[in-house]
Amino acid sequence: MPYLGSEETVKELKRALSNPNVQSDRLRYRNVILRVIRFMTQGLDMAPLFMEMVKASATVDIVQKKLVYLFMCSYATLKPDLALLAINTLLKDCADPNPMVRGLALRNMCNLRMPGVSEYIQQPILSGLRDKASYVRRAAVLGCAKMQNLQPDVEIDGAVVNELYGLLRDQDPVVMVNCLRALEEILKKEGGVVINKPIAHHLLNRMKDLDVWGQSEVLTFLLRYRPRCQSELFDILNLLDNFLGSSHSGVVAATTRLFLSLGSALPAVQSGVLERARGPLLAACNAQSRELRFVALCHVQQVLRSLPGHFGAHYKKFFCSYSEPNYIKFRKMEILVELVNDENVGTVLEELRGYCTDVSPELAQAAIFAIGRVGQTYSEKCLSILTGLLELKQEQITSAVVQTFRDLVWLCPQCSESVCASIAGCEEHIQDSEGKQALVWLLGVHGEQIPGSPYVLEEFIDALKTEQSPAVKLELLTATVRLFLSRPAETQDMLGRLLTFCIEEECDMSVRDRALFCYRLLQCGVEEAHRVLGGPKSDPSLGVIAGRPEEPINSWAGDFNTLAPVYSREDWAALTATTGGSPSLIPLVTGGAAQADLGSAEEAEAAGSAAAAAAPAAPSPPGPSEELCLVSGPPLSPELFERRWLALEPSRRVSLDWPGGDCLPETLQAALQLVNIQALALSRPHARPWKAYLYAHSLGTVVLAELLRDTDAGGLQVTLKQDPEREEALSSFLTVLKTVMQTLGNSSASLSSHD
Amino acid sequence: MSASAVFILDMKGKVLISRNYKGDVDTTEIDHFLPLLMQQEEEGLTCPLLSRGKVHFLWIKHSNLYLVALTMKNSNASLVYSFLYKLVEVFTEYFKELEEESIQDNFVVVYELLDELMDFGFPQTTDSQILQEYITQEGNKLEVTKLRVPNTVTNAVSWRSEGIKYKKNEVFIDVIESVNLLVNANGNVLSSDIVGSVKLKVMLSGMPELRLGLNDRVLFGLTGRDKGKSVVMEDVKFHQCVRLSRFENDRTISFIPPDGDSELMSYRINAHVKPLIWIESVIEKFSHSRVEIMVKAKGQFKKQSVANSVQISVPVPSDVDSPRFKTSVGSAKYVPEKNVVIWTIKSFPGGKEFLMRAHFGLPSVDKDELEGRPPITVKFEIPYFTVSGIQVRYMKIIEKSGYQALPWVRYITQSGDYQLRTNS
Repeated sequence: MPYLGSEETVKELKRALSNPNVQSDRLRYRNVILRVIRFMTQGLDMAPLFMEMVKASATVDIVQKKLVYLFMCSYATLKPDLALLAINTLLKDCADPNPMVRGLALRNMCNLRMPGVSEYIQQPILSGLRDKASYVRRAAVLGCAKMQNLQPDVEIDGAVVNELYGLLRDQDPVVMVNCLRALEEILKKEGGVVINKPIAHHLLNRMKDLDVWGQSEVLTFLLRYRPRCQSELFDILNLLDNFLGSSHSGVVAATTRLFLSLGSALPAVQSGVLERARGPLLAACNAQSRELRFVALCHVQQVLRSLPGHFGAHYKKFFCSYSEPNYIKFRKMEILVELVNDENVGTVLEELRGYCTDVSPELAQAAIFAIGRVGQTYSEKCLSILTGLLELKQEQITSAVVQTFRDLVWLCPQCSESVCASIAGCEEHIQDSEGKQALVWLLGVHGEQIPGSPYVLEEFIDALKTEQSPAVKLELLTATVRLFLSRPAETQDMLGRLLTFCIEEECDMSVRDRALFCYRLLQCGVEEAHRVLGGPKSDPSLGVIAGRPEEPINSWAGDFNTLAPVYSREDWAALTATTGGSPSLIPLVTGGAAQADLGSAEEAEAAGSAAAAAAPAAPSPPGPSEELCLVSGPPLSPELFERRWLALEPSRRVSLDWPGGDCLPETLQAALQLVNIQALALSRPHARPWKAYLYAHSLGTVVLAELLRDTDAGGLQVTLKQDPEREEALSSFLTVLKTVMQTLGNSSASLSSHD
Repeated sequence: MSASAVFILDMKGKVLISRNYKGDVDTTEIDHFLPLLMQQEEEGLTCPLLSRGKVHFLWIKHSNLYLVALTMKNSNASLVYSFLYKLVEVFTEYFKELEEESIQDNFVVVYELLDELMDFGFPQTTDSQILQEYITQEGNKLEVTKLRVPNTVTNAVSWRSEGIKYKKNEVFIDVIESVNLLVNANGNVLSSDIVGSVKLKVMLSGMPELRLGLNDRVLFGLTGRDKGKSVVMEDVKFHQCVRLSRFENDRTISFIPPDGDSELMSYRINAHVKPLIWIESVIEKFSHSRVEIMVKAKGQFKKQSVANSVQISVPVPSDVDSPRFKTSVGSAKYVPEKNVVIWTIKSFPGGKEFLMRAHFGLPSVDKDELEGRPPITVKFEIPYFTVSGIQVRYMKIIEKSGYQALPWVRYITQSGDYQLRTNS
């Protein structure tokens, strides 16, 4: 009964362990130790047995030794004083004639995570590095990194580092790779292990001896190396070419990433590599393991960002199989939508239609939205499918279809006629608030084309008391006023009832305010109401923006084969920003800056609600904060940036406080990206002078900035240039930049203008 | 890649065994794993990658276990998953079945293996054949064996130990091609491909040098020299032991083989091949009364070949009762726990056509929940036949002691993911 009387158990085990009769019978002794470890695994506190267990390590039985080592490593942090007693046994084992014992002892000694152990392990590690058995050397090399990890503040031992660089030539491949790993860890503050030409060439020659883990690792380290000339670069490409055909998808991906990086200035090389990697990537999309399949699909999406047609001929590979989990099916559908072209559109749509009736409501809905996205280009075919789906009269499906209709009508005005013809009767099958909102919007905007629109709205108004969602009510208000403008006779009465209810009985303030707003608007006269509410009914140009431009390969090549593509882009940006400081601050600050620019908050609200009323269904209604603050515009190429930078005169010079400490470039970049400042180039963390080039779009101008840090003590010199000149944009850029720096450093920055 | 810690959990999220390799994450982080997963499940979208704060959880599920790797770095996702699958592979080779019980029964070996497989978050020795040389389950039975580091841990040839001895030297070569097929409800082939592999079972003494000759057609196919006649192979991949430079130069596949079972090469053929077993089905559902199923299976391969142990699984609604079958050959069986009818045909000669009819009753009350439409799946095996026409011409075995060794070759074509969607 381990959980009930654990104290009893500990006592009993303690007795057994110190019983000389048990100790002399090896089988019994080991069985007691086994029980201790079993209890430890189950989560019981076995720390009181530390003394007895340490004694048990003096044995010739290697399994018993391993168990005791495991025990010591697990409890060393809790009992540092007693663990020091174990050191002697471990030290003795480190000199054992059996290399297995030496290796084990050394590895476990380095695993004792407690203060003060480093002075004891230093000597064994150093002799372990020169041990004749590679098993010991492997443990010793990683031991160096563990030692550094234990005391991160202690200065790095140059001798150890040199020794490790020397061991890169070790004949054992794992020792070599471990050296790279250890050096990377030890030197992480200095930017990691240095890969110079001799090392790079040595690694390249050893590649074939390594196992798949080693190969992937070395390929990643080789990213650091920049070949001196083109012929060397091509030699490397030739040498590693075989690895693109490796049987391990991880090695293929690592090779691809390295080639993309080596070819960052040679577009021909990059596209050639992706061409070669297509087969393996597709194969990985059908891998046995779901997780690997998923990762491969994420990478396919990444490649598609730059080369939309890259997998066009293989679209059938992305058809979903019945047994696949949803996370794979979702990705596959996203990819299918991207691969649609004139030839395959029929087949793809037929396939997507099949998913629309899936048992999983999420999947069915996603499939309908996917058809909607295809519909932005091939509207006719998609409309007939979507209309057909309405006949199934199922809640989830109808709701999703109506939402898709709304978006389609907004983007493709030519659809509106057939949409209006088909939505009659939908209201009976829609229960969720998103679906209702979409339907009400359609009825409001296109009410004059839908014969029964006032009566449908009336049903909604009659059911107002039971309606839960404020969003539906808001939508209903706008839609009814709109319909009143186009069909006053039929709508007047119910509009009155609606406004009365919303103003007098509604508890939700936003709904009440909207109702009052509508009321006052109508008081201003029909003309005025028309002007405010009768905006455009569609915006085809948004569709073009939604079909995003091709991105340069280099924008994602650095992330290839990491965690980044596996998360969605927004998730990843949020995750990486977390490492910088409090992430929630940054978006809030931009909002604040925007409001300040506006002058009065009231005005902002009015403009905001007007905009929302005019275009509630736009996929991304242009909110006030985006319009008046920094926006993510078209990317600037480095060449273009340089040309502009040289042509312009500095508009302002400012110095900011350095956020302090080691601010990683990724962190800074992610944080800046979050506020729509693009970082073009950043120096490495400890470079002096440290420089960064940034740019941002705002209020129709481009702001270019250079951050310069000469010395450790000095602050950050910021030079701003602008094209064309616009003072507000400049100050808003500075405010945002300042907040970012402040957030990153968590220290107050002082701003002093030099001009 | 680097994993800070590896956990093996049961389905309730309780830690069965764990290793904190790097010490940079708190082991209590794992307590958040299952709640995070449940939350995703509620939202209807689970994902093999979770995150909380700076910690990323990468997980896989195997039988009744979760294997979870924690990492703080932006590591290489596919490599971490590969490592987790490697764990599954190694454990399975040790315990036959990897499940909660086998972990609990063998926790000592699991600890030992976890210790050797990874150190400080980096994979070390992961080859199970090599691990088995120095971590044995017998080790627990307390014989004071002289444990030594196997040579392989230091060998230049990391996949083969020195000093292997067999009384009779033999090599078994299996050429296996699996056919993946997806057909939509209208009978159009959506996708079909063939995944081939050459597997070896090597029982040879010493350090033999092997050379494998395949028929030229296939090799030409590889180089793309003769695209007209031969099928184009994509993704030809070799085991690490094959000298790729030799292959690039003169197309010979030469290698020092790993001992025991291994996969020497794999390839993929994308060409449209006629589906080997074609199924036509009519499933008629008369609400509240009955379901009638008619399935016609046709062998579309050479007359001389025979498909063995053919299994055709036809999905039926979950609430059917009183099954009745009529088959022209083989036997049909209703498997209620999987909601399928399985029609088994022991031997199915090429060019033949067979028929199965099934009749089920339906209850008069409708059931509430919606049901998916699973496809018809087919399993089969055709010996002495490959779709691609790949052939082993010769296998030369040279060892310095000069023994004679026999190569045995076997060809099999089998079903892979073979699915035909249905209308009902």
